Amino acid sequence: MGSAHSVPAEMRELADRTGFTSEQIEHLHRRFKQLSQDQLTIRKENFDSIPDLEFNPIRGKIVHAFFDKRNLRQESDGLAEEINFEDFLTIMSYFRPIEMNMDEEQLDRFRKEKLKFLFHMYDSDHDGKITLQEYRNVVEELLSGNPHLEKESARSIADGAMMEAASICVGQMGPDQVYEGITFEDFLKMWQGIDIETKMHVRFLNVDTIAHCY
Amino acid sequence: MFLLLPFDSLVVNLLGISITVLFTLLLVFIIVPAIFGVSFGIRKVYMKTLLKIFQWATLRIERGAKEKNHPLYKPYVNGIIAKEPTSLEEEIKELRRSGKALDTPEFELSDIFYFCRKGIETIMDDEVTKRFSAEELESWNLLSRTNYNFQYISLRLTVLWGLGVLIRYCFLLPLRIALAFTGISLLVTGTTVVGYLPNGRCKDFLSKHVHLMCYRICVRALTAIITYHDRENRPRNGGICVANHTSPIDVIILASDGYYAMVGQIHGGLMGVIQRAMVKACPHVWFERSEVKDRHLVARRLTEHVQDKSKLPILIFPEGTCINNTSVMMFKKGSFEIGATVYPVAIKYDPQFGDAFWNSSKYGMVTYLLRMMTSWAIVCSVWYLPPMTRQPEEDAVQFANRVKSAIARQGGLVDLLWDGGLKREKVKDAFKEEQQKLYSKMIVGSHEDRSRS
Repeated sequence: MGSAHSVPAEMRELADRTGFTSEQIEHLHRRFKQLSQDQLTIRKENFDSIPDLEFNPIRGKIVHAFFDKRNLRQESDGLAEEINFEDFLTIMSYFRPIEMNMDEEQLDRFRKEKLKFLFHMYDSDHDGKITLQEYRNVVEELLSGNPHLEKESARSIADGAMMEAASICVGQMGPDQVYEGITFEDFLKMWQGIDIETKMHVRFLNVDTIAHCY
Repeated sequence: MFLLLPFDSLVVNLLGISITVLFTLLLVFIIVPAIFGVSFGIRKVYMKTLLKIFQWATLRIERGAKEKNHPLYKPYVNGIIAKEPTSLEEEIKELRRSGKALDTPEFELSDIFYFCRKGIETIMDDEVTKRFSAEELESWNLLSRTNYNFQYISLRLTVLWGLGVLIRYCFLLPLRIALAFTGISLLVTGTTVVGYLPNGRCKDFLSKHVHLMCYRICVRALTAIITYHDRENRPRNGGICVANHTSPIDVIILASDGYYAMVGQIHGGLMGVIQRAMVKACPHVWFERSEVKDRHLVARRLTEHVQDKSKLPILIFPEGTCINNTSVMMFKKGSFEIGATVYPVAIKYDPQFGDAFWNSSKYGMVTYLLRMMTSWAIVCSVWYLPPMTRQPEEDAVQFANRVKSAIARQGGLVDLLWDGGLKREKVKDAFKEEQQKLYSKMIVGSHEDRSRS
């Protein structure tokens, strides 16, 4: 592809920053161009062209995550209108598999970043806490496919889970204590012992160059 | 400048002679056999020679790449990411077991992982959109449009490629254009002339043969090398012929081996002229643009045509759009509701010689035809499948799917449930529910168990 050959320096810089190899970046670039229909940026509507994504109950949250400025490592808060290829790669880098040569510190940072991504997915109002209402929203979305499920059941499931979370994070609460919400530190506590690095990644097939048909 | 003068007349003479020779060759070797339906077998020899050259070229590339340590192409891989083969239930169980000591099945924060990852995977690479880009090749067929990396591998190869370009563009292309021109003008004039005859057996006979002759010339204009299988199952009057759709050339390929009535929308321009001329000689079913949306009108006209046994079988492509010839998508049920006998036909193109897939969002018709005419050849196989009728207990959609599976199986194509219309539209809501239902059943079911215990 012409574009791949014309920006090697930029690509190397992207590769360093996001941790993908140059072949992987080429693949993703092609995918980006397909999604954006050869434009330079993607908007939310472009994700509608992926039929398989419709299956997914948390589709809205996933697409939202692409435009969430906190995930894009931008200083400001809120939602971006459109993202370019660099932003696309930044989001994809949260799902990079761990490499053999990573040391303890890198692994820890890696894990924290992945968890932060998930945290942002739950925390939809960007206030740094997952409140009961936000938790309920996620559960309802995940269970929304079942038409026989009443709202009450979904709610009670969410409430039960939230209480468990509270008990882990704060321990025993007094009768007057109100649990405001799960902060990121509490979130981290809940994930201790769960090996998410191997679960939250997408593995690339080992192809060096694919002959493409244009 | 003066030196050019004696060359002038020489050049003109040479040009004149070569054009005459070309046209005589054209007439003798291509047009006359087409009229009578015989073949010298030149195209088969051409195909074999080309294959040998491609094999040599591929070996050369591999050797050259190893010498220079270039990254070499790999055979087409199905997708760029490794999709986990585990199912929803297994994954969620695993996620939970690895964490909490409690084994109680209920909603947990980790459940979101599965859906999150699946979502990202589909964003990176999904089944349906892949089907719509051209199928990728394993060996190089000396067309640079199929591979960019190869031009620079070795001098000999580049020379060969250059020679290939010269032959294709300077020799084959004018030849093919001349043939196509001849074919189309013969079709238009022939059918118009036949149209003046009074209705009767003579007219039918002549119109069938005029059509056939012109399609045969067009087949040679594209250098299409077609192998027909099971010709005893060819469609008969009063039936509907159904085939998978890869390019507009499908029509020419099928119609050069049988007599069909076409169905379609009236276009303007050259297409429209051809359509109007064709319908003078024998009844085709052309719709105005406004009538196309009216499903009842379409169904009624098709039914009328089918019930008249003197009319030719209708040729329909139920996928509704061009697919890239690796799979067969959902058939639209309209043609299956009519109640006539369906004659399925499977068409499979060999991509080694030239990619016949028409990506209508990428290329217009003229660009597409030019690409076709500058490929080496179009090699395909056509299988005529035994006729099928709708059984009393199945509805139109099930019948359509049954026909589709038969075609996919015969042609070695993947039978996809997806709607070909997805290339342009969104997924229907019914499909969305599956995954969500499964997950919620898991959670709610277990939650009820818990509250009961």
